[in-house]
Amino acid sequence: MSASSIWSAELRLLLRSGRNLLALILLFVLSSAAVLAGIAEIENQRETIARVEAEQVRDLAAVADANAGPEGDPGYAAYYAFMLTQDPPPPLAFAAIGQRDLQPYVLRVRALGLQAQLYDSETYNPELALPGVFDWAFVLIYLLPLVVIALGHDLVTGERETGRLRLLLSLPGSGLWRRRIGLRYGAVLAALGLPLIVGGIVMAAPATGIAVMLLTAALYCAFWFGLAMLIGASLRTSATAAAAMMGCWIVLTLILPTLANAAIARSVPVAKGIDLTLAQREIVHRGWDVPKEQTFERFFVNHSEWRGKEEFEGRFHWKWYYAMHQVGDEAVAADVAEYRASLSKREDLTRKLGLILPGVGTMTVLHRIADTDILGQLAYQDSIAAYHAGLRQFYYPYLFNDRMFTRGDFAQIPRYETRSGTGSLEIASLIALIILTMLVLVAGALSLSRQASQSRAKSQK
Amino acid sequence: MSAATLIAREEWRVLARNRAGLIASALLVLLILVASFTSLERRSAIEADRERYQTSTDETFDAQPDRHPHRMVHYGQFVFRPIAPLAFFDAGVDSFTGNTIFLEGHRQNSANFAEARQSSLLLRFGQLTPAFVLQTLAPLLIIFLAFASVARENERATLKLMLSQGVSGRSVMAGKLLGHGAIALGVGLPAFAVLIAFAATGAAEWASVALMILGYAAWLLLWAALGVVVSALAGRPRDALAILIGLWMVIVILLPRALPEAASAQSQLATKIETEIALHRDLLEIGDSHDPDDPYFNDFRDQVLARYGVETVEELPVQYAGLVSIEGERLTTQIYADAADRQIASESEQNAFVHAFSIVSPLIAIRQVSMALAGSDPAAHYDFLDQAENFRYDFVQRLNRMQAELLPGIEGEDPRISAAYWQQIPRFAYDTRDPLARPQSLLWPFAVLLGWLAVLAGLAFIAARRIGKSAR
Amino acid sequence: MLDDTGAAIAIEGLHHSYGSNAVLRGLDLTVRRGEIYALLGGNGAGKSTTLSALLGFLAPEAGTVRVCGIDPVSDPRAARAAMAYVPENVSLYEHLSARENIGYFLALAEAKRGEDAIENSLSAVGLAPEAWDKRMSGFSKGMRQKVAIALALARDVPVLLLDEPTSGLDPRAVLEFNRLLDAAREREVAVLMVTHDIVSAVDIADRIGFLGQGRIEEEREASATGPRFDLNALHDRYAYAGAAA
Repeated sequence: MSASSIWSAELRLLLRSGRNLLALILLFVLSSAAVLAGIAEIENQRETIARVEAEQVRDLAAVADANAGPEGDPGYAAYYAFMLTQDPPPPLAFAAIGQRDLQPYVLRVRALGLQAQLYDSETYNPELALPGVFDWAFVLIYLLPLVVIALGHDLVTGERETGRLRLLLSLPGSGLWRRRIGLRYGAVLAALGLPLIVGGIVMAAPATGIAVMLLTAALYCAFWFGLAMLIGASLRTSATAAAAMMGCWIVLTLILPTLANAAIARSVPVAKGIDLTLAQREIVHRGWDVPKEQTFERFFVNHSEWRGKEEFEGRFHWKWYYAMHQVGDEAVAADVAEYRASLSKREDLTRKLGLILPGVGTMTVLHRIADTDILGQLAYQDSIAAYHAGLRQFYYPYLFNDRMFTRGDFAQIPRYETRSGTGSLEIASLIALIILTMLVLVAGALSLSRQASQSRAKSQK
Repeated sequence: MSAATLIAREEWRVLARNRAGLIASALLVLLILVASFTSLERRSAIEADRERYQTSTDETFDAQPDRHPHRMVHYGQFVFRPIAPLAFFDAGVDSFTGNTIFLEGHRQNSANFAEARQSSLLLRFGQLTPAFVLQTLAPLLIIFLAFASVARENERATLKLMLSQGVSGRSVMAGKLLGHGAIALGVGLPAFAVLIAFAATGAAEWASVALMILGYAAWLLLWAALGVVVSALAGRPRDALAILIGLWMVIVILLPRALPEAASAQSQLATKIETEIALHRDLLEIGDSHDPDDPYFNDFRDQVLARYGVETVEELPVQYAGLVSIEGERLTTQIYADAADRQIASESEQNAFVHAFSIVSPLIAIRQVSMALAGSDPAAHYDFLDQAENFRYDFVQRLNRMQAELLPGIEGEDPRISAAYWQQIPRFAYDTRDPLARPQSLLWPFAVLLGWLAVLAGLAFIAARRIGKSAR
Repeated sequence: MLDDTGAAIAIEGLHHSYGSNAVLRGLDLTVRRGEIYALLGGNGAGKSTTLSALLGFLAPEAGTVRVCGIDPVSDPRAARAAMAYVPENVSLYEHLSARENIGYFLALAEAKRGEDAIENSLSAVGLAPEAWDKRMSGFSKGMRQKVAIALALARDVPVLLLDEPTSGLDPRAVLEFNRLLDAAREREVAVLMVTHDIVSAVDIADRIGFLGQGRIEEEREASATGPRFDLNALHDRYAYAGAAA
């Protein structure tokens, strides 16, 4: 028999087993379903953005109709003209939806205080969000190990239990385990990866991104096969090997992450978000009760170009109103930085945890490259903040120079430009995953070969 | 002693010698305790935080200086949702809903700062609460203890031996069910003890706690029965284990995640932006109070003048602008309420779709029972939103009335009323919702759990007959 | 392939122990080509350990083991290429047919054999042709054993190691099996069978060795005339050796 026919004989052996075939088909179906669900979710988000954009155009036109004119007051225009920002799904989001089911991907802002607008939630159904999203990343992180357990837990023990182990070991050929594990590994990876590749083509996702995802999946999958080798070689029966592997799965994907999350939530409080909103409100509203000069003085610290144009008659002028809001935002800048730092800190601790927990590491790599984690959301908030600053800069000349706001000016209001993706390759997590996988693989291979020689000696005891 | 109790006692003896099983059980008990204590601590920290915030924002409201009442309408109030006592046991959607709302006049702000939006994706692995352990992990332990119960006897032919000695198939099944049912309840016992101790301190209602224990007992028994029945029907222990793990994966892990995806694909929720724009349009349709020729507000003015028996607005003993504010607030609030109802209706419709599948995945049923009784379900959140909205309407209208009634007596360009009035404005006091107030929401999930138990009892009966036949 | 003495299997002074339990204490054993050697011994006498030493599964503490002149520990590949081993109560892959199983194991052994070699060996062991392409999950214990032996025959190697080959076979199948061994002897194959089945051994073996106290305690050769062995004497000897172990 040629070298290729031994592989095809092994493949036949693998696929003839009802359990193995079922597990592989199940994985393929689940992976396909997850990719489909991911694509549906992305399409849904795109449709929503398109719908909101259309509404926004109509709404802004109505605001223009009501407020534009030769006597148009820029203050009213800025007050009523909500501007839309949108964060369309990144091309890889279909495979790793991440937080996009919770975090807003459309947000309207106006030239008032940003900090009172930036953290508004969009509507989502909390009960649907509770169990977590069903996407390719979920199938990889949670379900793939179970398929590996089904295919790999009795590699050695199954042979021993049927009395074949000594026969197999008595044969002159070599590479039996390498072939068998390699074949199972390839089959699992194909069942999992093919739907992703097709999905990537359909969604026109960048090939490098898909490649990184596949590489991560390949490493994570290899980790579980290494564990299967390690455990399968050290235990006597298939039942205990299966139980031990399930135990590993429970600890690695259910218990440790939840424990770690509780610890992180405890050690890094994020209350600054509430603090800064409360502080911002106080400052803005106190502005009504303090002398206007005081507000302007604080405003001029960062916007000295308008010094000398602050005078107005009467009790109210929009320029003072907007200056007050600007000051409100600037006064809480330290709180904002602290709040963001606490969010990043949580993300950072999670990343560190991923250096030792392969499931968490895989999650980190996938969602970072897909740009659907908290960092992606923070980048969106940054882009909104930058846009909002531009919006203020746009209105200030009208307000401080007492220029009228006409229909033509409405067309001039800057529009939000979609941020460019900030997805990145999480090198450290990937390397950690490689090291972890290699360690487990080497340990597994060593214990497999050691075990094989031991079982030669005392298989029938 | 009957044959069934003898068989049950034998089963316990076998399990007592199963070292891996004992270690796993001990770990689960430990995990339940760890989850209980960390979750209790987390809950009291959240409670203290929210109370502190509520107190401090209430104080700052009181401390505002003399002002025009309308300024206070927009200064508004922050309200914080108190965390339900039993939320330590099941955090439910608490981490996914915003827990603070800024309430002001003629605007409906969203509840913000949900924990899930401020956590890394780690949160999506699940939250360590006793409910998580009981719902997700306990079934697995029960499966591992029960999968071999009958299949082992079958494989080793001890089953035949028993039957040949005159033990009936029914006694075998009854004994195994009894044995594993008791073990399943034993697995839940630490959690139940925590609940009872919690209720004994007066922190939670006995009725809720009792129903919670009942629900989880049914849930755990369901898995014990499933384990024994599959063990009896599958024949070989390893087949039984494979089937049971497969069932667990589908019921506990897969369906609860996949169904929401299907539900959200079925009906989409309108974004807040769309709702706002539509609301704005609806309001304009009713009328524009700034437009002197607006028919709606002209009618309103005529009615006011008639009520006070005067000819012109200037003759009114109250400030007309204040009355317009009151009327405007009434109109917008009605529209907001309608929109909120629609929103809740579409969310509930999505949830109902998922709940209907609890027949297939009873996890959904126990989760409903658990969240509802813990006061951390969406209904409790909607209730908070509802109370907050009612409170908002009340305090805004009080301020509007102050404007209408007090301002006419105040001269000057910048009329203000005394800061002392702010203390007359009520503070938000959340009226804790009794989860048993609407018992019908618990009926269906309980029926599902009992239905599963009934079906499993039927299957156990069939298995008993098959065992009996195999003896002949 | 043969060493100077013409022995296909040559064990000299083999010692092996598991922990403090010395199982083999100076075992000497040779099997020539064309010879069938039955190794009898009670439970725990060291029969399986002897086979393990031949297969290169364990390194001897003392003594030498040679298979066709090859040391199975230092060159396991070459030694195993010269041996076919049939374990006790082996069940080949249930979801493959008999033919597929043999083809698969031959491929694992890197032995290039044609379809007809497989068919010849299947018919040689007396498996009905209609069973050749059926999945082995439906096979009886005897049929499974036949397929395992067919695999060993198809390997077509000079040394055959059989572990309790007749356990689970009915008397008729034992007869067929003995005929197979006759044929192997014709082809100059050296056969070492480890067995409890004294009747089968008497029928077919050229030499019978009693394993006890870690070495061959007694060896009998088939007589060329009359009954090959004195069954009753052997049985008494065997029962005594078993009691001693």
